Amino acid sequence: MELYCLEADSVVRARPDPNLLADDRVLQSLLTIEERFLPQCSYFKCVQKDIQPFMRRMVATWMLEVCEEQKCEEEVFPLAMNYLDRFLSVVPTRKCHLQLLGAVCMFLASKLKETRPLTAEKLCIYTDNSIRPHELLEWELVVLGKLKWNLAAVTPNDFIEHIVKKLPLPEDKLDLIRKHVQTFIALCATDFNFAMYPPSMIATGSVGAAICGLQLNSTDRSLWGDNLTELLAKITNTEVDVLKACQEQIERVLMNSLREGRRQQHKQQQQDQGPRNKALDDQDQSSTPTDVRDVNL
Amino acid sequence: MCKIMSFHKRVLRSLGNGPARRNLFGPVDREQLQAEYRDALRKDVEDASRRWGFDFVSEKPLQGGDFQWEGVPGARVPALYRSCIVGEEPVPQREESTSAVTITRGPTRPIIGKENVPTTPERYSGAPQNLEKTPEKNNPLKRKQTNITDFYQAKRRVVATPRKSGQ
Repeated sequence: MELYCLEADSVVRARPDPNLLADDRVLQSLLTIEERFLPQCSYFKCVQKDIQPFMRRMVATWMLEVCEEQKCEEEVFPLAMNYLDRFLSVVPTRKCHLQLLGAVCMFLASKLKETRPLTAEKLCIYTDNSIRPHELLEWELVVLGKLKWNLAAVTPNDFIEHIVKKLPLPEDKLDLIRKHVQTFIALCATDFNFAMYPPSMIATGSVGAAICGLQLNSTDRSLWGDNLTELLAKITNTEVDVLKACQEQIERVLMNSLREGRRQQHKQQQQDQGPRNKALDDQDQSSTPTDVRDVNL
Repeated sequence: MCKIMSFHKRVLRSLGNGPARRNLFGPVDREQLQAEYRDALRKDVEDASRRWGFDFVSEKPLQGGDFQWEGVPGARVPALYRSCIVGEEPVPQREESTSAVTITRGPTRPIIGKENVPTTPERYSGAPQNLEKTPEKNNPLKRKQTNITDFYQAKRRVVATPRKSGQ
């Protein structure tokens, strides 16, 4: 009986399959097919009238928070964003229906990737019950139709292991690196500027940013600045300049995001504490790091 | 582990604001939503009709399609595809996804193939004779990918598709 209880509580997951991860043909296939799953156009210019880039960010941030709170698998959020972008690149959508679309995309991505997927009811609660389960189910069909039922899209997460495996990285740091890469990938998915980039480029740029951010490049010569970029570019057949630009863009997004986060936090603190502690806050602010590497890594 | 979480949490916190449970863009326009939903489904059915050369509403093959439709008796298709009503009312979308004709046990001979449509097997759809053969039109295009509907198919002679299923 005890054994049964334990089994019921743990998440059953497959071990990494060396047949999939050690075979270069898999990486090559991923690189070949990834373009098929990109949104067809920059939709804020050519399709959408009612919604704007900042609304995509709002819905993306909300989706990420839900995925985090529900402890979804890492690839659920980027995959859901892929569905959202592909849908929005073909269907003009009204602002008031955007959160419903976000919920539907999470619903689908979760069902595809998880053993215990998010339920329709739970997702509706997260919209503060502004949508109803039957609406979610109806729109699930519509979204599936527009995506032509092609749900197994390639995401940046699919490339992480393939890239990391080919780099001379310290074994004991791998988990840390993976987690950082996943965080960068999620961050990119919240930013529309990355929506048209091939997933392999986002993955490669994120690995580069993670290694630089963790200053792992101080240990191995081949991981120094340009060496690292060249090595990464070779792995995913990306052009060095393009990759470099992508990595810098990712680092910029991170810094802006952290800066914005700090601003929000301070605003909140000041509201909570009143003007009395303002001097203290300022002091604190001046000591907060601005460089990525200074961020508590 | 602690270090891992701090970076991740920090980035997350910088993005998030307040509780995850929230309504982002105000009230949903339910009427509009329903209208758009119906509209989208109708368009899906129309697309499918064009693609398969089959009218899923009246359940009859269309003239000049790429497919030749042939009726088979309901008893010959696997049990999985025979009509049965489980639980609730069928959703309209079902018809679109079946892309085949309902089974009938016609008086003279069996008429049309395939019944995934949850209706009674006794349903009779008319014009059985000319359903059998549509004009020969050999499209050299071979389909690249199998569709779920391939397996629903009771029998089909010409296999061709006007457009790719990929996006």
